Amino acid sequence: MLDLRIPSGVFFALTGAILIVHSMILPGLRAPMTNANVNLYSGAVMLVFGALLLGLAARSRRA
Amino acid sequence: MHLTPVDYAILVLYFAFVIGIGWTLRKSVKSSGEFLTAGHSVPVWITSLAFLAANLGAQEVVGMCASGAKYGIMTSHFYWIGAVPAMLFVGVFMMPFYYGSKARSVPEYLKLRFDEKTRGLNAITFAVMTLFSSGISMYALAKMFNLVLGWNFNSSILLSAAIVLAYTYLGGLTSAIYNEVLQFFLIVLGFSPLAIISVARAGGWSGLQQRLAPNMTHAWHYLGHANENPMGVEAFGLVAGLGFVLSFGYWCTDFLVIQRAMAANSMSAARRTPLIAAFPKMIMPFIVILPGIAALALTKMGSGYTLPLKGAGYDYDQALTTLMAQFYPNGMLGVGLTALMASFMSGMAGNVTAFNTVFTYDIYQGYLHPHASDEHYLKVGRITTVAGVGLSIATAYLATQFNDIMDFLQLVFGFVNAPLFATFLLGMFWKRTTGHGAFSGLVAGTLGAAFTWMLTVAEGKGGTIANVHDFPSQMAQNFWIAIVAWSTCMLVTVVISLATRPHPETQLRGLVYGLTETPNEQGVSWYRRPVPLAIIVAVALVFLNLLFR
Repeated sequence: MLDLRIPSGVFFALTGAILIVHSMILPGLRAPMTNANVNLYSGAVMLVFGALLLGLAARSRRA
Repeated sequence: MHLTPVDYAILVLYFAFVIGIGWTLRKSVKSSGEFLTAGHSVPVWITSLAFLAANLGAQEVVGMCASGAKYGIMTSHFYWIGAVPAMLFVGVFMMPFYYGSKARSVPEYLKLRFDEKTRGLNAITFAVMTLFSSGISMYALAKMFNLVLGWNFNSSILLSAAIVLAYTYLGGLTSAIYNEVLQFFLIVLGFSPLAIISVARAGGWSGLQQRLAPNMTHAWHYLGHANENPMGVEAFGLVAGLGFVLSFGYWCTDFLVIQRAMAANSMSAARRTPLIAAFPKMIMPFIVILPGIAALALTKMGSGYTLPLKGAGYDYDQALTTLMAQFYPNGMLGVGLTALMASFMSGMAGNVTAFNTVFTYDIYQGYLHPHASDEHYLKVGRITTVAGVGLSIATAYLATQFNDIMDFLQLVFGFVNAPLFATFLLGMFWKRTTGHGAFSGLVAGTLGAAFTWMLTVAEGKGGTIANVHDFPSQMAQNFWIAIVAWSTCMLVTVVISLATRPHPETQLRGLVYGLTETPNEQGVSWYRRPVPLAIIVAVALVFLNLLFR
């Protein structure tokens, strides 16, 4: 059976990477009511979450 | 709201992954059991998150944010009182009967415990309900995307339905469940930043308390009288109507959610499914309700954000999307909209997979074509999936033509689950309950609910026969309708059961308390046992209610 952590991990890692790269290409991009770099911070969280899922999947494969 | 290529890229990536999961899982579907019940092989962490996500439709996410803006933190009662206690109950007490009976669906359990007519009544009402729920939700989503993004109504409906059909047709229930987990993660990660940023902009929790009336930031303090709080309900109506009847009626008997737990790979996993799901369920108000409260505070503080107007008041249903437009730049805006689409899909896939199981096993195999080969039922299951999606689309278009009928149907659906919990409670814990008692009770409870609505008025609705009582809000009316439905069903079931012949005890083994072996948990770690998990959830629940009292 498919280990769901792998597709989920890849999806969030890719989405996070897209957001981070986008925030680097357009560093001044902000939403109307906040000065926070929402894409960068949210992208980083998604990238870490995706990596965590992939790490857990890899660890269970080794066990 | 204007989308750019990066937003569309995220949306397309998501579509590719959900269909990819269905494509990968298609190889594991070789029998009707694997297609319709996931072969009882899904790990507990997946069934737990799917148990939660199947209920997390787009209407839930948008609606809870809207309720946050309208009713404040009292909306959390829909989670902390109106869901979690019922989830603990079904996990600890009811799951041994559902899973242990080997029934493939909730209606099938009713057949084993009571009789064919009780199963038939539940199967048919449930099948119709799921189709209409799915269609109404599809209509609401397409209408919202049309309003916010200018997307074509027909294209939104057809695209979302085609994607749900693709992955449920390919991988059946397993695919729906796996995708629900991905959708759950996306909903949490897609909406959490909005909650954090919007609440921070409104000055944090203390800022919300300063800017809003006290009854918007207290969950319990103003429940002494219906006139003191924005929901227009009092403590008894809330606890008995929402916290007991409606909540237990949904979480303990609705096959849409029970099916996720029944897909687990063991009895222990099935019991822990709702208990593990209760942990994220407790946290969901912070993600979906707080942004709504912040939207109202931001409107009142003259921050530059205002809730859109509708007539003389606010259009609360637009709270979530307007906040996203103000706080999310392109990129994260794509993630937020994808999360909204994901929440719709998880709700629709939940309805479609529950519908195809009940239709194939309880209606087709039960009445139309029994004793066929498993291969035949697998084929019927797949055809039913296509038909279910097609009929959902038809009901979505019906909603565009007859909006009042849809409002009425939603009200009727509310009537169906309320008495059902009395039937299950008596059926599982009182061996004297008979099939005639259960059937009569269900019919009487539903009629009791309908008459209560026809004899009372709230916000100008109801009272079609006479007006014997005015409720301060529709919510209060709904809670009391549920209380009447449950009490009527309970009373009629007991009376008719005592007057009719009980089932022999030999037929009730594995179905009723006292005649079913208690699962052996000797030597099992505490965190794998249902009762310790339920105690931890209960303590956390009391803490949250005290914190926001």
